[in-house]
Amino acid sequence: MIPASGIYLQAVTCPITRSSIFTTNYNTGDAVASTACKRREVDSVVRIKNYSYAYPDTTQFAIRNINLDIETGQCHCVSGPTGSGKTTLGLAIKGLLPPGKEEGRISGVSATEDGGTDIGIVLQNPEIQILASTIGAEIAFGLENLCVDPAAMPARVGEALEAVGLDRPFENETAHLSMGQKYRLILASHLVMNPRLLILDEPAGQMDPDGLKKLLKVIQALKNAGMSFLLFEHNPEFLTEIIDVYWHLDSEGYLRAGHFKMSVYDPLRSGSPGSGRLGATDGEVVSVRKLTVSGADGSPIFSDLLLRVAKGQRVTVYGANGTGKTTLLRCLAGFVQASAGYVMVFGKKPVPRNLRGKVGCLFQNPQQQLFENTVYDEVAFPLKRYGKRRSAMASKVDEMLSMCEIGELAEFSPHKLSYGQKHLVALASVLAADPELLLLDDPFAGLDQSRCEMILNLLSRLNQEKGLTIIWACHHPQMFSGWADLEFLMKRGKIFAHSS
Amino acid sequence: MRIRLRQLFGLSRLYRGQPGTGHRRIGSIAVGAKLLGLMVLSFFAFGTRTSAGLLWLTGINLALLFVFRYGFIFLRREIKVFLWQTVIIVSLYILRFGWIEGFKPGAMISWQLSLTYVPGLIFVKTTPQPRIVETFSAVVPYRAAFVMATCLKFIPLILTEIRNIYEGQVFRGAKILRKDLLNPINWPDLVFCLALPVIIRSMNLAGEITLAAKARNFGLKKKRTCWPGI
Repeated sequence: MIPASGIYLQAVTCPITRSSIFTTNYNTGDAVASTACKRREVDSVVRIKNYSYAYPDTTQFAIRNINLDIETGQCHCVSGPTGSGKTTLGLAIKGLLPPGKEEGRISGVSATEDGGTDIGIVLQNPEIQILASTIGAEIAFGLENLCVDPAAMPARVGEALEAVGLDRPFENETAHLSMGQKYRLILASHLVMNPRLLILDEPAGQMDPDGLKKLLKVIQALKNAGMSFLLFEHNPEFLTEIIDVYWHLDSEGYLRAGHFKMSVYDPLRSGSPGSGRLGATDGEVVSVRKLTVSGADGSPIFSDLLLRVAKGQRVTVYGANGTGKTTLLRCLAGFVQASAGYVMVFGKKPVPRNLRGKVGCLFQNPQQQLFENTVYDEVAFPLKRYGKRRSAMASKVDEMLSMCEIGELAEFSPHKLSYGQKHLVALASVLAADPELLLLDDPFAGLDQSRCEMILNLLSRLNQEKGLTIIWACHHPQMFSGWADLEFLMKRGKIFAHSS
Repeated sequence: MRIRLRQLFGLSRLYRGQPGTGHRRIGSIAVGAKLLGLMVLSFFAFGTRTSAGLLWLTGINLALLFVFRYGFIFLRREIKVFLWQTVIIVSLYILRFGWIEGFKPGAMISWQLSLTYVPGLIFVKTTPQPRIVETFSAVVPYRAAFVMATCLKFIPLILTEIRNIYEGQVFRGAKILRKDLLNPINWPDLVFCLALPVIIRSMNLAGEITLAAKARNFGLKKKRTCWPGI
C-alpha cells in the first residue's frame, strides 16, 4: 500500500486475467486507475453500515448494528447458532424482508442489464425452490420474470448449466435429480441472471459429502472468475478451501469477526455420556435378513440387507441422499412392506399398531408434527394417549422439559418458538412416551453444533440409563463419528459395516 | 461490471432441443385445444346419467390415457383412489338409502366423479408446466396462472409431508391408523394430529415457495415472457 497525497492506492488482481491491473482509492472507495481490464473493477459488491432490523409487530431487533463489506471475488462465511438471524441478514441484503423497523443502510446493490438486482440468494431447502418440472424451465424462471426475449433464453440457460457442471438436456425432469444436483440447479437458476454476489443459506445442511464436494468445485470456479459469495453456514468445515473471511452472528444478532473452529463431537471427552456406556445387552431388538424393498416402479431401492441391532445399541446408518435410509427406517416402523426378506422388530413382524409405545420416530423436520397450544400439552400428548395418570403425567412432562432444557417454555405456544426450540419440543414429546427403540431420520439437519451436542448427550444419557436403542440415519459420517456402537454405510442399494 | 457467464467460461456450445418461436406458438394452440377437449370430456361426465354413456366415456378416457402415454404407475394410483372413493361413497349411500336403493346410485356417482377428474389429470401429467402457465396466462393474470401451475407441481411434496406427519404422529400415540378410524371416537385425532399440522405446514410451504419465487424476481415486472422449451 503506497500513500500518495492522502490517497491510498492498492494494486489488485483482475478476477478474469488474474493479473495486477488497477488501483483503488480507499478513501473514497472509487477506482482511480485502470490499465488493462476494462470489463471489471474490484470494488464492494455490497456495503452494510450499522444495519439493524426488527420484524413487523416486534420491537426487538433480529439483527443489530451489522457492518459488512464484501468485495468482488471474496467469499465471506457467517456462522452462528440456529435462530441468530443469519437468514434474516441474507434476506435483508437481497431486499426480501417484509417492511419492518430498520436502521442503518445497505448500499452497493445495483441493477443488472435485465432490470433485476445483482444479488442472488439460494435458500435452505432446494426441494421448495424448484418451481418448474424441467431443468430448462427451472433455470429460465428468473429470465421469464425479467421479460427476457425467449429466443435469447436457451443460450443463457445452457451457459448457466455448464457453469454449475450439470450437463443434462433441458427437457430432463427436475424430480429425477439428486439433492446435490438440485442445489446446483438452483445455483444455475440464479447465475443465469448475472449476479455479482451469491448468498447461500446453509449449503451443507441438506447435502451429502459427495454433493458438497461438487458444489465446492463450482463455487471455487465462480470465485476465481470474480463472483463474490456470502455463505451462512454453521458447519463450515466442508467449505474452508473457499472462505476468505469468517464472521460470527451471535444469539443477540450482533455480527463479530469470527474464525474457523473445527467442531467434531468427541464422545470420549471427559464427562461425555459417550464414554463408559453400557453398550448392547441381551435381546435382539431389530433383525433384518436379505431385505429387499422396491419403489413404485418395481425397481429395488435396496436389496439383501442384513442388520442386527441388540437392545441398548447405538447405530448410525450413513449414506448419500436417495440411498434408501428413510425407506429402511420406515420399513422397520412397519410403514413400508418388504418385497423380499425378513424383518423382525422386538421379535415380531413390524406393524405400526403393535409398535406404538415401544418405538419413537423422529423424521426430517420434526417441528411439523406440533399442533397443541402449549409446549406442555405437546409433550403431554403421548402420555394422555397411552393412558398415564394425571399426576404421573405432570412429573414426566417436567422431567422431559428439563432434560431437553426447555422448562421455561412450558406455557409458550410451540408454533412461536425458534427452529431449534421446536426441534427440542418435538424430541421431548417423542421421548416422553419412554420408547425402547428410537428411529431418527436426520431430524437435526440444520441445527447448530452446540444444540446437536446437547441432543447427543441427552440421547446418550437415555441410552445409558434406560437402555434406549437408537438407530440414526444421516448423511454426514464425520458428524457423530465414534458415537455409535455400530456404523453402517448405505451405498448403491447395499449396506456395509462402516468404520470411522 | 456485470459478470457474464459466456465471458467467464468462454462457452460456445450448441444446446440440444433449442426450440424456436414458431414451435412455441403451435405448442400453445395445441395445449389450448387439448385443455378445451379434456374440459368438454369432464363436462360430459357430469351430464351423463346412463351406464352406457359412462361406459363410452370410460373407453374414450382409456384411449386418451394410452395415446398420451400416461404411466402405468400413475394409473395404478388413480385406480386405488377410485376404489377408495367408491367404497366411501357407496357406504354412505347404503347408510342413507339401504342396500338395494343405495348401491347402484353410489357406484354411479363414484364412476362419474372419476370420469370428471381423469381428463384433468391427463392434462396436468402430459403438459409441460411452462405451457400450462402460458395457456392459463392468456385468460387469467400471470400470477394466478403461476399459482395454478405451481400448486400442481407441489402436490407430491405435500403428500410426502403428510405421510411424514402421519407416521410421526402414529408413534406419538395418535389414533389415526385405518383400524383406529373405524371408531368415530378417534376421528378428532385425525383433525388435530394430522389435518391441523398439515394445514400449518401447507401455509409455511406457501410462504417458502413465495419467497423462493421472489428471490428470482417474480412479480418484479407487470408481464412475463415464457421459456420456449418444455
